[in-house]
Amino acid sequence: MSDPATQALQPRLLQAQSSGSAGSNTAATGSGSGSSDPARPGLSQQQRASQKKAQVRAFPRAKKLEKLGVFSACKASDTCKCNGWKNPNPPTATRMDLQQQAASLSEPCRSCGHALVHCLDLINMSTNDEINRLLGMVVDVENLFMSVHKEEDTDTKQVYFYLFKLLRKCILQMSQPIVEGSLGSPPFEKPNIEQGVLNFVQYKFSHLAPKERQTMFELSKMFLLCLNYWKLETPTQYRQRSQKDDGTAYKVDYTRWLCYCHVPQSNDSLPRYETTQVFGRSLLKSIFTVTRRQLLEKFRVEKDKLLPEKRTLILTHFPKFLSMLEEEIYGENSPIWEADFTMPASDGTQLGHQTVISPASVSGSPSLSKGMSSGSSLGSMDAGGAEPITGEKRKLPEALTLEDAKRIRVMGDIPMELVNEVMMTITDPAAMLGPETNLLTPNAARDETARLEERRGIIEFHVIGNSLSQKSNKKILMWLVGLQNVFSHQLPRMPKEYITRLVFDPKHKTLALIKDGRVIGGICFRMFPTQGFTEIVFCAVTSNEQVKGYGTHLMNHLKEYHIKHNILYFLTYADEYAIGYFKKQGFSKDIKVPKSRYLGYIKDYEGATLMECELNPRIPYTELSHIIKRQKEIIKKLIERKQSQIRKVYPGLTCFKEGVRQIPVESIPGIRETGWKPSNKEKGKEVKDPDLLYNMLKNLLAQIKPSMSHHQTHPDAWPFMEPVKKSEAPDYYEIIRFPIDLKTMTERLKNRYYVTKKLFIADLQRIITNCREYNPPDSEYCKCANTLEKFFYFKLKDGGLIDK
Amino acid sequence: VALWTISDTKIAELLTELHQLIKQTQEERSRSEHNLLNIQKTHERMQTENKTSPYYRTKLRGLYTTAKADAEAECSILRHALDKIAEIKSLLEERRIAAKMAGVYSDSDPPRKTMRRGVLMTLLQQSAMTLPLWIGKPGDSPPPLCGATPASSDYVAKQGDKVAARVKAVDGDEQWILAEVVSYSHSTNKYEVDDIDEEGKERHTLSRRRIIPLPQWKANPETDPEALFSKDQLVLALYPQTTCFYRALIHTPPHRPQDDYSVLFEDTSYADGYSPPLNVAQRYVVACKENKKK
Repeated sequence: MSDPATQALQPRLLQAQSSGSAGSNTAATGSGSGSSDPARPGLSQQQRASQKKAQVRAFPRAKKLEKLGVFSACKASDTCKCNGWKNPNPPTATRMDLQQQAASLSEPCRSCGHALVHCLDLINMSTNDEINRLLGMVVDVENLFMSVHKEEDTDTKQVYFYLFKLLRKCILQMSQPIVEGSLGSPPFEKPNIEQGVLNFVQYKFSHLAPKERQTMFELSKMFLLCLNYWKLETPTQYRQRSQKDDGTAYKVDYTRWLCYCHVPQSNDSLPRYETTQVFGRSLLKSIFTVTRRQLLEKFRVEKDKLLPEKRTLILTHFPKFLSMLEEEIYGENSPIWEADFTMPASDGTQLGHQTVISPASVSGSPSLSKGMSSGSSLGSMDAGGAEPITGEKRKLPEALTLEDAKRIRVMGDIPMELVNEVMMTITDPAAMLGPETNLLTPNAARDETARLEERRGIIEFHVIGNSLSQKSNKKILMWLVGLQNVFSHQLPRMPKEYITRLVFDPKHKTLALIKDGRVIGGICFRMFPTQGFTEIVFCAVTSNEQVKGYGTHLMNHLKEYHIKHNILYFLTYADEYAIGYFKKQGFSKDIKVPKSRYLGYIKDYEGATLMECELNPRIPYTELSHIIKRQKEIIKKLIERKQSQIRKVYPGLTCFKEGVRQIPVESIPGIRETGWKPSNKEKGKEVKDPDLLYNMLKNLLAQIKPSMSHHQTHPDAWPFMEPVKKSEAPDYYEIIRFPIDLKTMTERLKNRYYVTKKLFIADLQRIITNCREYNPPDSEYCKCANTLEKFFYFKLKDGGLIDK
Repeated sequence: VALWTISDTKIAELLTELHQLIKQTQEERSRSEHNLLNIQKTHERMQTENKTSPYYRTKLRGLYTTAKADAEAECSILRHALDKIAEIKSLLEERRIAAKMAGVYSDSDPPRKTMRRGVLMTLLQQSAMTLPLWIGKPGDSPPPLCGATPASSDYVAKQGDKVAARVKAVDGDEQWILAEVVSYSHSTNKYEVDDIDEEGKERHTLSRRRIIPLPQWKANPETDPEALFSKDQLVLALYPQTTCFYRALIHTPPHRPQDDYSVLFEDTSYADGYSPPLNVAQRYVVACKENKKK
């Protein structure tokens, strides 16, 4: 330590550490108590700093120079190592007294004896602005000095001290401060918190009415603002709180936060970044639990200071908002953190042209969400995001008929009129059979009865659990007892006490199947959000209600519940009688979850088989068999239509009777008339290797759209680069059912959506057809489309993706 | 196939007749309603005049005679319609048996290897629900195989009839199962029955005493309560969602024609030795011969 100023600092530092005086961080983490707006703590400190700077900058030049001289190297001789002028008559007060007379330029330094003027060689030549900049740094250095002095936390103190030294060095060298070292430079993670939170709002609330959506958007803004001014807990506090984590990663983030976000708030010499813009999910993961608690507590305490309209917003919506956000922060597969997050609504369009039709009713689990009353305090929040867009989807076919009639078809598409017509002929079995609809056709899906019964309110599904922190209502407790009875009767080999213990354990929840107000079955499970899986503990349906599809429907509800909570793996130890059931529910003995994730978490049963089920968040499980059934019916009808159109009957093949073993498919009479096409040979063949296909498509796209590589944009690609903005074409999305653009295609490519070239070509073609549909033929857009179409097909042929 | 076409036309004819009969019923009903209204008015007028003159007496006698005749006519049409339904059902049953014999499953669906259990259970419920209700004429007593009324001692179940059959399971335990009669040999006095569960696969040859025919009519609790099992009576009842009969006590008999019995199954896994009350249709409740508890 050659710096005298720091040397002088050391003893005082130690003193401060032992004295335990009130430091800036001792007040409960994260609260800028005293400021009137709880969303903006720290403002006053910032104000104080700028006040002081204004004061210093208003000094007479001589005084300014003296102040700077203290921090500037002595240039009296090459050998002088003195790093700043020391006043031989130090002010008596410990604080630098701003009112004191300026020292004369000839005054000798207390340290090296050279006159003050030698420290000002460089500074004297500087402009007033530069001097003022340096003076600002001086004030910041002094403030940092005070902070170091007051700070109790070792980690924080260290960082303050580092910044103090950094700024001192910068004044000395008259340079710009740059935080160096292993911290890296912002942004530290992508997408940042802000993006993630905005994605979250889009992801969870875009189905809401505009007003409610706006509310959620405001909450997200408020949350982000709070985070930007929030004081993080120290690494020590973090370590104490989370026993599992040694806090190394957090300490790095904390240091970054101090250097780039927190200190620069009151210290404008340092470049300032917003916490929510430079940090991402990992920081939010470390701080969210604590921050949420503190935020809510703070709002509760200061609710009287809030504006009335803000008060309702915060007190009624904010807790729920935070709980839902929490699920996305800690959830295993939350989409909001994906770099190329797109609205789930676009999933619909992605599926749209692939499967021809959207299911008639993709319902979430209405009864599940409305009746949700889990023991945890979060339970009641679940209802919010769960209202599916059922109604709208049901209306789809009728609403679209008109536009579809005039639509130009993309290859492989089936005309919407035809689909609608077919849909009309596939009548709902429930509508046909009259009141006694539990009479089913022998090939009805396993869960068909259960689904119908749920729709009619005969059975209900509820996720329930015991709670120690809040009084469970009587009905829930009765149901828990009912579940315990069902499990112990159906699982006679499990000790009753053991069942009771787990069913009533607040960490376990049970999906209960209720009929006539009584429990007739259920699945007891335990979620391990941090481990990314859920353990299925007990699963049973009372004997006189078996083989009705309830077990399947229960498991499907459980799957949808977990998709909503972002846990995508089930693990269970199945006994020999249960293996068959679990297999039917999509479980397998092949375990993909790494052992380290579940070992020590899941209850191990001797003689049972570990089974796993991976969930696909895109599947509406409770409706799946119904959707597939409808799709089959549609296809069957389409085949029938085709058959009635062809009408020609050929005599059967006789060649096999004559001993021929194999003939080419195309030699079968009439086969071409059915629409069958020989698979394209050589170049036109489907590329089997997914990576090869990916690269081919990537190159192709790159020639049209440059972001994937450094190619030039195609001159006519500009109208199709990004999704059409509603602000520019308000009715666009009413007319164009399957919007697509080059950016979306790039994202789809990255997501490996294009598993066949056909999908890729269909999207390319759709860009063109959409354009022609929406715009008049002589418009600039259509001209672009025409040129681009030629270019597409030239490139497709060139790339060997279609026949020349 | 030719046979089916014949039965198809026959069924179509019967359905047309049934349709006609239902229309006629409505006509009859309107007519009798008119007459009943007349009776009511006459009574009202008699009350206001406060005397029973010979004129009214004669008039009422005439009206009541007509009303009775109307009711009987309506009743006979309804019986006629019920007969048609029974005829259609028996034709369908014949066809089913024929199909089974021929090894074909059903006329409309593609052959299936096995029926899903849930579907079988639905079919069993359906069969219980559509079991005809016995409606006797005044003074008639319920026939054998109506409700709890046992079959006569020399009764022989027909082919295709559902029965409770006592079979020996693989482990040697005796069990009452739901089965379908394949044949009866008068020489050996033995039945051949198929387990309903493993249709066709498991055939049992059993003596008469191991067979209990299932009721062929529901007894109407409102008119023939004596043809029902009474509370606390020991019975064999089909355990819900299974194809096995177990010993049970009647908890409550049905109150209305469409109601089920509520029964308590013997079940040692419950503290008092009986299950909670469960519903079982009349179709699947038969008398239990052995009265002592196992």
